[in-house]
Amino acid sequence: MNNTAREAILGSIRSHLAASVPYDKLEISDGSSRIKTDCNPIPSASISDQFKASLEAVDGHCVVVRGDREIAEALTQIIGVLPKTNIAVSDNPEVERLLQLTDLEIEGLSIAPNARDIFRFDVGISTAQAAIAETGTLVLDSTSERHRLVSLVPPVHIAIIRGSQIYRTLGEVLTVIQSARDLSPAVTFITGPSRTADIELTLAIGVHGPQELYVIIDELN
Amino acid sequence: MKVSLFVTCLVDQLWTSVGVSSAKVLRRVGCEVEFDKRQTCCAQPAFNTGYLDEARLVAQHFIRIFEESKADAIVSPSGSCTAMVQHYQQLFAGDPEWLPRAQAVAARTHELSSFLIRVLKVEDVGASWEGRLTWHDACHGLRDLNLNSEPRTLIRNVRGAEFVELEHADSCCGFGGTFSIKYPEISVAILDEKIDAIERAGVQAVVSGDASCLMQIGGRLSRKGSKVKVMHLAELLAADLHE
Amino acid sequence: MNHLSSETFDQNAKAALADAHLRGALKNATSLFGERRKAAAASLPNWEDLRSEARAIKDEVLSHLDRYLEEFVGNAEARGAKIHWARDAGEANSIICGLASDRKARTVVKSKSMTTEETHLNIALEAAGMQVVETDLGEYIIQLADEPPSHIIAPAIHKTRGQIAELFNAELGMPLTDDVARLTSTARATLRDRFAAADVGISGVNFAIAETGTIVIVENEGNIRLTTSLPPVHMAVMGIEKVLPRFAHLDVFLKLLPRSGTGQRLTTYQSYITGTKRQPTDEGPEELHIVLLDNGRSRMLAHPVTRQSLACIRCGACLNACPVYQQVGGHAYGSVYPGPIGAVITPQLMGIQKAAQLPFASSLCGACREVCPVKIDIPRLLLHLRGEISPRKGKLSERLAFKLWAQVMMRPSLYKTSSVVGRIMQRFVPVAKAWTRGRDLRPIESKSFHELWSDE
Repeated sequence: MNNTAREAILGSIRSHLAASVPYDKLEISDGSSRIKTDCNPIPSASISDQFKASLEAVDGHCVVVRGDREIAEALTQIIGVLPKTNIAVSDNPEVERLLQLTDLEIEGLSIAPNARDIFRFDVGISTAQAAIAETGTLVLDSTSERHRLVSLVPPVHIAIIRGSQIYRTLGEVLTVIQSARDLSPAVTFITGPSRTADIELTLAIGVHGPQELYVIIDELN
Repeated sequence: MKVSLFVTCLVDQLWTSVGVSSAKVLRRVGCEVEFDKRQTCCAQPAFNTGYLDEARLVAQHFIRIFEESKADAIVSPSGSCTAMVQHYQQLFAGDPEWLPRAQAVAARTHELSSFLIRVLKVEDVGASWEGRLTWHDACHGLRDLNLNSEPRTLIRNVRGAEFVELEHADSCCGFGGTFSIKYPEISVAILDEKIDAIERAGVQAVVSGDASCLMQIGGRLSRKGSKVKVMHLAELLAADLHE
Repeated sequence: MNHLSSETFDQNAKAALADAHLRGALKNATSLFGERRKAAAASLPNWEDLRSEARAIKDEVLSHLDRYLEEFVGNAEARGAKIHWARDAGEANSIICGLASDRKARTVVKSKSMTTEETHLNIALEAAGMQVVETDLGEYIIQLADEPPSHIIAPAIHKTRGQIAELFNAELGMPLTDDVARLTSTARATLRDRFAAADVGISGVNFAIAETGTIVIVENEGNIRLTTSLPPVHMAVMGIEKVLPRFAHLDVFLKLLPRSGTGQRLTTYQSYITGTKRQPTDEGPEELHIVLLDNGRSRMLAHPVTRQSLACIRCGACLNACPVYQQVGGHAYGSVYPGPIGAVITPQLMGIQKAAQLPFASSLCGACREVCPVKIDIPRLLLHLRGEISPRKGKLSERLAFKLWAQVMMRPSLYKTSSVVGRIMQRFVPVAKAWTRGRDLRPIESKSFHELWSDE
C-alpha cells in the first residue's frame, strides 16, 4: 500500500547510518552520560495547596473544599454569576449528581453533547482521572470519561477532582498512565485556561479553548 | 617558568603593543619569555571559512614549531586563537600521526588570562590604570575556553580602575572573522548593540581579550567620534606596572 | 505568496535591516523570549543534567532510527492508526490530498505544523480544490497576510499589533483596535465556525513514542485539540526524527521544550493520541492517519556531526539567542526554518545549492549552542557545512586566495613579507570597502612584532 516508500525510507536510514560508522569512531565523547534527573525538592505545603498555587500561577481558579455540600456551594458560586447557564457535563454520573445538589436555575443540561451540539453551551463540567501538583495540571483520559469536547469548547470549564487523585510530579503521572493495561486513545493534560502570546508576545487568555478554568478539589475523599 | 609567546598574526601585523604588553606582563610575574620567529598563524581564517586542507597545512606548521619548544607553556593573548589550537583535534581527527601531536601542543597552549589565573595562580600583576572601564566577553574565550571570572579578577586588581559590568557583556560584537566582511551590514548592526551598551555604561575604555573584537569595536567607536578607548587585557595589565 | 529565497539571503538581510518596524518587533520579542527562557531554565537546578539526558536519548534514537520507527509504526497500527510513508515533500502532499479527496473533503482545518510548511501542503490542498484554514493564531495571521512564518514557534512575531489590527480590519472588517484581547477574541469567533464545519483536521507531531505508538502534541491555544477532536478525519504529519523510545522519556522533554520555547513550565494542553477510538460512539475522529516524512532527513544520518541536526525539538530558543536573527528576523533566511537551526538544516533538506549562503551567515558566537535544550553543536555544524561548500563552490578567487595564503603562512620567510599577505586578502574580497563603510580600519603597523622582537 505504501511499501515501496516504506522500504525506501528504511533502506535510506540504514545505509546512511552505516556510512556514518567510520566517522562515529573518530568522535571524541564529551563525557556527559545519562543521569537520572528527578531531584525535585519535596515541598512542605500540602499537595492540594501546591496544586492550587501552581494553577493560580497560570491564571486558573482553584478552591479546596470538603465533601459534597461544599462542592455544591462552589459550583453555585461559579455558575451563579454567569449570564447564561447552558451546561454540558461529561458522562461521569458524579458530575450530574453534584449539580443536582445545587439549587441553581439551569437553562439547559446535556450529557456529553456531540460535535454538532457542543458549541451552544456556556459551561462544561467534568472530573479528571489524575492531577499534577507541581504544574497545576489535570489529566483526563477518554476511556474513563467523555471529556474531549466538554473540557474544550464551552468558554468555561469546571473540573471536580479528589485530593487523593493528585500526584506530585509529571514523571509519576506518566508512569501511571502508561502502566494502565491499555493506553487510552486520547489522554489530555490541561494546565490552566487557553492562552496565546502570538501578538507581540502579549499574553491573551482565552483563545480556542476555555477562557476560564475552575478546579474544585475535594479533600474529604 | 619558561613561556613561549604565540602573538597571533593579527597582533603581529596590526597591534604589536598587545604582544609587547603580553611579554612585559609575563616577565613581571616571573616568567622567562621566548619568541619563536618561525610562527605565523593558527589557521583560524581558513578553518572558519571552510578551507580545511589549507587550514591543516598551516596548523601543521604551528604544531611543528611549537612542539619543539622546551617552554613549560605556550601562551597567547587571544581566546579565539587559543580555541583554534584546541580545535586541531577536529582538524586531525583519525590521523594517527598528527592527532597526538596536535593534542600534545593543544594541552600546552593557554590564553593569557587563563594562564595567569589557572596556571600561575596570579590574580594581581601590580598594574595601575586610572579611570572607568568595562569588559567585553569575546565569544571563543567565553564559550570555548570558559573564560569568565578570570579576566574580571585580573581587572578588579588593577589599582585605580573602576570596573563596571557591561550590559549583555557576553553578546557577540559581530566580528566573526570573514563574516565581518561577507555580511558587513549585519556585522555592524550587531556591533551597534554593543556600542550602545558601551555608551550607556559611561566608561573611558572597553577591554577585551581578543584583538579581533577590539578592532571591530574600536573601528566603530572611532567612526562615531566616540572618546571611548579600546584596550586589550594585556595592555591594561602592562599599564604602569609597579612594585 | 512571495517567499524570499535563501539564495538571496544577503539582499534579504539588507532589506530587513532597513525595516524599522521589523527591527523593533524583533528586539522586543527576542529579548522577552530570551529572558523568559533563562528564568525558566534557572528554576530547574538539574537543567544541565536534563539537557545531557535529552541528548543521550536523541542520540540513541537516531543511531537506531529504523528500529524505533518500525516499533512506533507497529504499535500505532495495532491501535488503528494508518501509517503513510513519504519519501519527499511531493509524496507527502499527494498522500494527504489523495486521502482528503477520496473522502470528498471540502474544508481542512490545520494546526501549526512546521513540517507541512516545509512541504508547502496548503498550496497543494488548495490546488486540489480544498479550503484550508490555519487555526493557530500566529499562523492564521500570516495566512491572512499571505506571508511565510518568520519564527519556528511564533510565526507572526515580525508583526506589530498595529499591523495585525490593520490586517484584521482589511480582511475581516474588524474596526481598528490596539487591544490584543479584542484581536484574539475576533480570531476565536471567526475560526469557531470553521472547526465545526471541517471535514479533515491536520496537525503536526511533537513526539512519537515507539513503545506505545502514541503521538504527543503540545499547545497553548486549544486549536490542536479542536483540530484533532472535531473533524471525522485526523491526519498527523511528522518528520521521521520525531520518535522517542519510551513513554517515560516524555518527562525529560516536557520539562525542556516549554521552558526553552516560551519560558513556561508546561504548555496549556498536551494531547496524547494512541490510535483510533474504541467504540464508534466514542468522542474523536473516525480515522487517524500518520504521515512519516523523510524529505532529506535520512541523509543527515550519515555523519555524527550532521546527525545531531535531527535532535532538534523545534523550540526556537536558538533563534532568540542569535545576534544575526535578532537583527534580520526569519524571512531573510528564505526558509520555513530560520535562525541557527535553519542555517544548518535548510541546506541539508533543500540541497546546498539552494541555500549555500546560510552556513556563512553567522559570526560563530555559540550563543545558540548554549541555549539548545538538546545540546546541538550548531557552530560545529556550520563549520562542517562550510567545509563542504567552500572548496567546491566557493568563489574561484577566494579558493585561490586561501591556497596562496596557506603557502605563505607555512613559510616564515614569506609570511614576513606582510605586504604580500595584504595584497592577497584584497584580491579575493574588497576588504577595505566592506570594512570601512561602517568602521575605521586600523593601519598596518610600521614594524611587526617579529621585527620589534628582533630589534631587542
